[in-house]
Amino acid sequence: MLCRTAAALSTGCAGLALLTWILVASDFSHPATGALLYLIVIVLLSITGNIAAGLGLAIIATFCLDYFFTEPRFSFQINATEDVIAVAAFALTAVAIAVLAGRARRSGETRALKDRLQLIIDTIPAMVWSISPNGSSDFLNKRFRDYTGLSLDDIRDWARADALHRPWMNALHPDDRSMDDWSAALAPGEPFEKEARLRQFDGEYRRFLLRFVPLRDEWGRIVEWYAKSTDIEDLRRAEEELRRRDARLRDAQMALAHANRVTTTGQLAASIAHEVSQPIAAALTNANAARRWLGAAPPDLEEVGQALDRIIRDGIRASDVIGRIRALVRKVPPRHDQLDINEVTREVIALTRGELRSSGASLQTKLADGLPLIPGDRIQLQQVMLNLILNALEAMNGSSQTARELLIGTEQDGSGSVLVAVKDSGPGLKPESRDRLFEAFYTTKPNGMGMGLSICRSIIEAHGGRVWVTADQPHGATFRFTLPQQQEAAC
Amino acid sequence: MATAKPLISVVDDDESMREAVRGLMKSLGYTAEAFASAEEFLSSRQVPRTSCLIADVQMPGMTGLELHRHLVASGKTIPTILITAYPDDSMRARALEDGVVGYLSKPFDESDLLACINSSLPADAP
Repeated sequence: MLCRTAAALSTGCAGLALLTWILVASDFSHPATGALLYLIVIVLLSITGNIAAGLGLAIIATFCLDYFFTEPRFSFQINATEDVIAVAAFALTAVAIAVLAGRARRSGETRALKDRLQLIIDTIPAMVWSISPNGSSDFLNKRFRDYTGLSLDDIRDWARADALHRPWMNALHPDDRSMDDWSAALAPGEPFEKEARLRQFDGEYRRFLLRFVPLRDEWGRIVEWYAKSTDIEDLRRAEEELRRRDARLRDAQMALAHANRVTTTGQLAASIAHEVSQPIAAALTNANAARRWLGAAPPDLEEVGQALDRIIRDGIRASDVIGRIRALVRKVPPRHDQLDINEVTREVIALTRGELRSSGASLQTKLADGLPLIPGDRIQLQQVMLNLILNALEAMNGSSQTARELLIGTEQDGSGSVLVAVKDSGPGLKPESRDRLFEAFYTTKPNGMGMGLSICRSIIEAHGGRVWVTADQPHGATFRFTLPQQQEAAC
Repeated sequence: MATAKPLISVVDDDESMREAVRGLMKSLGYTAEAFASAEEFLSSRQVPRTSCLIADVQMPGMTGLELHRHLVASGKTIPTILITAYPDDSMRARALEDGVVGYLSKPFDESDLLACINSSLPADAP
């Protein structure tokens, strides 16, 4: 500031000196002309420079006028009273002109700054407005007015008509205008955010994120609230579209998993027939026995009762099998239950018993006691085990290994997750196929679709777990999957 | 007079089935014993006392037919009735060739089983 003043003053002094030199050199000594020309220099400097420089130059110019143009010339002495008055009048005029010109320049600058700020506020890609503590809006930027189609007058009219309410709220969707909500948001006097729909000039509503910040005076009272809104309609629509796509994807995955369950269950036809026919055959045999005991002389009712108890047990067993099959092929949304993995495993084994028999494989189970319950969908997990067991049997059927041994085990791993392993004594895996086994449409079977294991992986991952396979020595393969007790990913 | 009643041994890995057949045999007036596997039967003391053997075909470990062949090979021929949940003509033919008295599919007719038992027991049986 001081620097700029000094620079402006030296420029003014140089102008003054040049002017004086020209006038003195050309022997031009008329004091009024000199004074007028000096005033012009002062005006120019005050307009372009600043007031301090203008005032400084006014004082120097007064001395110059006295020295060069007032009799006796080339001396600061003044003899005539009228000359004293003239010099004093010049000094006063010069000072006044410097001050006025400076002010004129400053107000010009202020206006320019105001215009510029207005331009910035109107141009920034957001709607900005201010609200007084009583709720009236005294400022709305151009974007707000353009968007809503409202004029400043409209807002002022609202304010007059509805002084106790918050007139700018008329631009909000009726459902977003709850006075209780807004009062609650404004009451703490802290900056806050709110999502609301704002009405566009053509009647369309778009969603906005509104941010409010209070301005406080030196006593901490809220003078005004400043509000800014950002259009989030497109963002919200994109999010909704993404959600819809997610839902469609989930539906497709569910349909695929269901198709796989139906196919897999179809492969169990022999097992199912066995599992159902066995208790039915037993029930019929028990019924024959009961009839005999009834026909005996005397009838042995105790034996009849025992036979009937066995019939009931057989009936329950057959209907349990049918219930499990029905659950497997039913199309239901995934559930979240607390599951005992050993129970889930035993149910699957019961369904595959016939398959095990017909493939001549022996089954060994190692189900650990005291496993924690895990959250999950019983049917989906049974589907995974069913796929793994049938794959293992198929691998062993194609194998020249004489001993066909299937081992199903459960245990708790180091991280507290439950680990399920299905180990077969088949020919094992080629390294190149091991890495791709879980990919969709990858299959090593002549009639395989390549979906089974990929569906298993999506199911296990949806349970927050992991599934992998290792080749065993000298032959065989073990598929393992984990199920965490706490689930992060949604199923 | 327990020894007067012929002993019928039932070998089936399916508990419901083996209990049901044993119950039926009792109701017919026989003494019946049930075993969960061929191995369990062979290691029991009932082998020499058994007048008739009813065995399931498909069992883990030794199958019903293998059990029959094993008994024949070791000179302990017991009239054997095989029952199966998976009827198979070639298996039936082989079984009959090997001398089993009956090959029945589950669920079987009581009279068929009775006929097989009667044909395998001496005429003075109940």
